[in-house]
Amino acid sequence: MTVTGYLADFSLPELFQLLEQGNKTGLLTICTLTDTLTAERFNHHIWFSQGQIVAAGNALDQRGLMRLIAQRGWMGDNAVSRLAQTCQINTPLGLCLKNQGVLTAEQLKLLFYTQVMRQVCALFALPDGWFQFDPKAPTPRAEMTGLIATATDVTLAGLRALKDWNALAEKLPDPSSALVSTVEGKPSLRLNPNEWQVWEFTNGTMALADVAKQLNLPVAKAQQIAFRLIVTGLAEEMPLMATPPTSSANLIDPESLELGVASTTSSGAAPVSNSFLQNLVGFLKGKV
Amino acid sequence: MEIMRLVVTGPVGAGKSTFIRSVSEIEVVDTDRRATDEALLIKKRTTVAFDFGRLQFGPDMALHLYGTPGQSRFDFMWDILIQKAHAYILLVAAHRPHEFREARRIMMFMQQRSPVPMIIGLTHTDCPNAWDAANIALALGYPNPNRRPPLVTVNANETASVAQAVIALVQHTWSGSLATT
Repeated sequence: MTVTGYLADFSLPELFQLLEQGNKTGLLTICTLTDTLTAERFNHHIWFSQGQIVAAGNALDQRGLMRLIAQRGWMGDNAVSRLAQTCQINTPLGLCLKNQGVLTAEQLKLLFYTQVMRQVCALFALPDGWFQFDPKAPTPRAEMTGLIATATDVTLAGLRALKDWNALAEKLPDPSSALVSTVEGKPSLRLNPNEWQVWEFTNGTMALADVAKQLNLPVAKAQQIAFRLIVTGLAEEMPLMATPPTSSANLIDPESLELGVASTTSSGAAPVSNSFLQNLVGFLKGKV
Repeated sequence: MEIMRLVVTGPVGAGKSTFIRSVSEIEVVDTDRRATDEALLIKKRTTVAFDFGRLQFGPDMALHLYGTPGQSRFDFMWDILIQKAHAYILLVAAHRPHEFREARRIMMFMQQRSPVPMIIGLTHTDCPNAWDAANIALALGYPNPNRRPPLVTVNANETASVAQAVIALVQHTWSGSLATT
């Protein structure tokens, strides 16, 4: 099913995580909102296959990769076009040109870096934009180098390079929250030293503000690192319980609201019988 | 008196108070106060303590429903509620993707403090731009459909729909208790 929304509501790192974890195949289109100064809007397209990024571009004319090759001066536009026609229909253009000895493996890597890593990483700084993921869009063989990147790798690279975090400020974990690991053992991702340091505190007990203090990091920096660990699937935000003011704790005891019903002082819920559950379901069915 | 306590939780505006009102046979006891900060943008009033509803279905059998506060800074109140709960339902508004992460935070908080069964109730699924259940499950951190809590669609304004969701929660709890006996 098509997924639509705004990046201000559901950020690009969250979206990438969703597409990767869902093993989604299709086309993600991001349309920037109208620039107040220039009145311009831009479309960005990112193609996914089984949750991995296979190509990116700013047009749907199937000529983006050819233009990149021509811009590098490796081949003329027309020459690439002619060669592309000889490629097998299911073979990515980049791989086909490599098989024909026209491009080297290094050139393909450079193309992929320019096409995907550089273009997509720049999108993390977008303050907002409308997005749509179309799972029915065809795989664009003419835009593909044949190389792939995991959405996690792109997210990690993009967020590490991000200078202005304003667009993601509301998405960052709260300084009063802790982190809890979601992986067994150590992460297989290549973390940088700061990320490793924060990772060491993913036991769900220490607030990020205290982690920052301990590591001598600004709190905002610790939040940004924590966000990277969260959107790459390594950790989850764990809200810590606020210390209750004594007076409030007395006021909100649920037992006091059980309106004349005998209360229990023990913690935890007393088990209910099967006949109770049967009766309850029967009673509720009468309301459906 | 045998009592089952269910907790209704979720982000601000997901429909928790309405849910309880729709099924409770007593006038819901609420301690609504004027909300402050971002919660005010969504609801003019939001629950800063908790809602309480009750359903008596036998001379010595009753269901109690508790709604958690809508503002996360009152976490300690949630803790008191969840410690007494037999099960809980997490309500998520399907048309508000910006609240999916908050729903995830709430879920983490609840799961860490109590192992009781839970289901996810999707509200506002008929609104324009509502996400489908599979994608919401992904956004909540459940990539595997076979390893996630039951998801039900619920219209918090309709008694029948809320009753159906409570049945799903009770049956989920029941199957859990059967599995452990």
